[in-house]
Amino acid sequence: MVKCKKRTFAQRLRSMLKVDFRRMCKSRLFYILLACALLMPVLMTVMMTMMDGSVSVDPQTGVETILHGPENAWQNIGTLPGGEAMGGTEVFAMCNINMIFMLVAVFICLFISDDFRSGYAKNLFTVRAQKGDYIAAKIVAGFVCGALMLVLYFAGTVLGSAISGLSFDLHGLTAANLVLCMLAKICLMPVFISIFVLVSVAAKQKAWLCLCGSLGAGMLLFMMVPMITPLGSTVMNVGLCLAGGLLFAAGLGAAGKTVLMKTSLV
Amino acid sequence: MAVNINAIEIKGLSKSFGAKQAVCGLDMTVPMGAIYGFIGENGSGKSTTQKMICGLIPTGGGSIRLYGKDYTDPDVRSTLGVLIEAPGCFPGLTVWDNMMLQAANLSIPNAEDEVIRVLKTVRMEGAAGNKYKNCSLGMKQRVGIAMALLGDPTLLILDEPLNGLDADGMRIMREVFTDIIKDGKRSILVSSHLLGELQKVATHYGIIRHGRMIREMTAAELDASCRTYVALRTGEMNRSKMLLGCRYARVEEDEAGYIRVYDRTTPEDLVTYLYQNGICVTEIRTDKIGLEEYYIDLMNGGK
Repeated sequence: MVKCKKRTFAQRLRSMLKVDFRRMCKSRLFYILLACALLMPVLMTVMMTMMDGSVSVDPQTGVETILHGPENAWQNIGTLPGGEAMGGTEVFAMCNINMIFMLVAVFICLFISDDFRSGYAKNLFTVRAQKGDYIAAKIVAGFVCGALMLVLYFAGTVLGSAISGLSFDLHGLTAANLVLCMLAKICLMPVFISIFVLVSVAAKQKAWLCLCGSLGAGMLLFMMVPMITPLGSTVMNVGLCLAGGLLFAAGLGAAGKTVLMKTSLV
Repeated sequence: MAVNINAIEIKGLSKSFGAKQAVCGLDMTVPMGAIYGFIGENGSGKSTTQKMICGLIPTGGGSIRLYGKDYTDPDVRSTLGVLIEAPGCFPGLTVWDNMMLQAANLSIPNAEDEVIRVLKTVRMEGAAGNKYKNCSLGMKQRVGIAMALLGDPTLLILDEPLNGLDADGMRIMREVFTDIIKDGKRSILVSSHLLGELQKVATHYGIIRHGRMIREMTAAELDASCRTYVALRTGEMNRSKMLLGCRYARVEEDEAGYIRVYDRTTPEDLVTYLYQNGICVTEIRTDKIGLEEYYIDLMNGGK
């Protein structure tokens, strides 16, 4: 009689994560995204500060617009009490830290579609009957990537603001609020990650479909991020984000597992 | 009392893609310790069957049991080694990195030693540092086989593993296959269109057509089923063929330029008959048809 190795969920997840983290570390895309997360706020803050007060003229209408640079370091992270988001212009308001929630979709989509495009999924699913392992590992890997990007964006904001000589005044908020705001954003990350994972496993090797679907689905929830994770976040915000993250991860994870079980993996 | 457990036991397996029935009530038994040659035309359902065994596509009906357990059992699935269509490797990574990923996926202890062992088995240890995308077709195929061998699997499922291999590669694969099954506990299910190569190693055969198993037999049964024929050469091939055609029911000329007489006869009869008609036989031998000819006969409706 052939003896089969029995492995617990923890053992299986550990080996699965080992594979995913090994791949992540070998992936150029991962480092590019991390570099983007770090450099983007630095460049944006420095450039906007330099352009502060400059006037741009619309060549057709002749209307003059005065560009406003950031006045405070934390405008990149959230809206200060009584203040406005970075620069006051819509373009830069869209490029604040919350943009990471959408940027991480690029990583998840290409990471998962690569599994199916290369045929690696065949090797994986032949020896691993539990599709839940795959989904869980991808959510964890995506979460780590997203959390790292958030932390790097924060570091980039501090660095860029220090270079530009911006004020670090929290306008009555405390450092604890800032930490809780970042924690809330990190805890909210699984909500987006699980959506992106679900869309990606449904689209499989079609990377373009993964990306369009993920960005489209992500946009539906994107507007709630600044509301649920303000600069003045409290423990309640973190708790809410954590509960939402766990709920979405479990629910959409189960849906992703069903998709994998019911559809062709090649 | 010892229970006889088969490596693979399939009953009434079905699968359809839209209106097309790819596999239709397929029954198949791969005994333990067998090299099972899975043969069929293009689109006959071989790859679909193999994908279903591997759990890569859902079945449309029927049952699949691996070593007596349901094929979805995670513990039995962890003992499989697989190469279906193309090796599943990341093109941007090196051969070594791809192998190490699969070793991590299988939770193999001493992964580096195991990867070196399988790469040596397929004579690819020298190319471990090459990027997978830069490997030739044959090298990729060897990497795929090495990947399937990782972790010493008890059941190997290989779809066209000999494609793109050179003569040396094929010889190595034959040695690897026979070595794997020598303890009688491991089995290999291999599909290939290279029937001559398959015949050199296979212990069992299954022939599939339009998604149905039309014949399953052992190598010994195939040997017994293969008809003997007399192959000869004469100084006047055209006249000989015509004369023999008048007397025997099936006379053909093969690619090597021999006249083959498939009817029940002896070389002595043929030599005497041709000599009586003024033709000298320059070469004569008796032989048996191979798997390839047997298969073609079967596909053409022969017995």
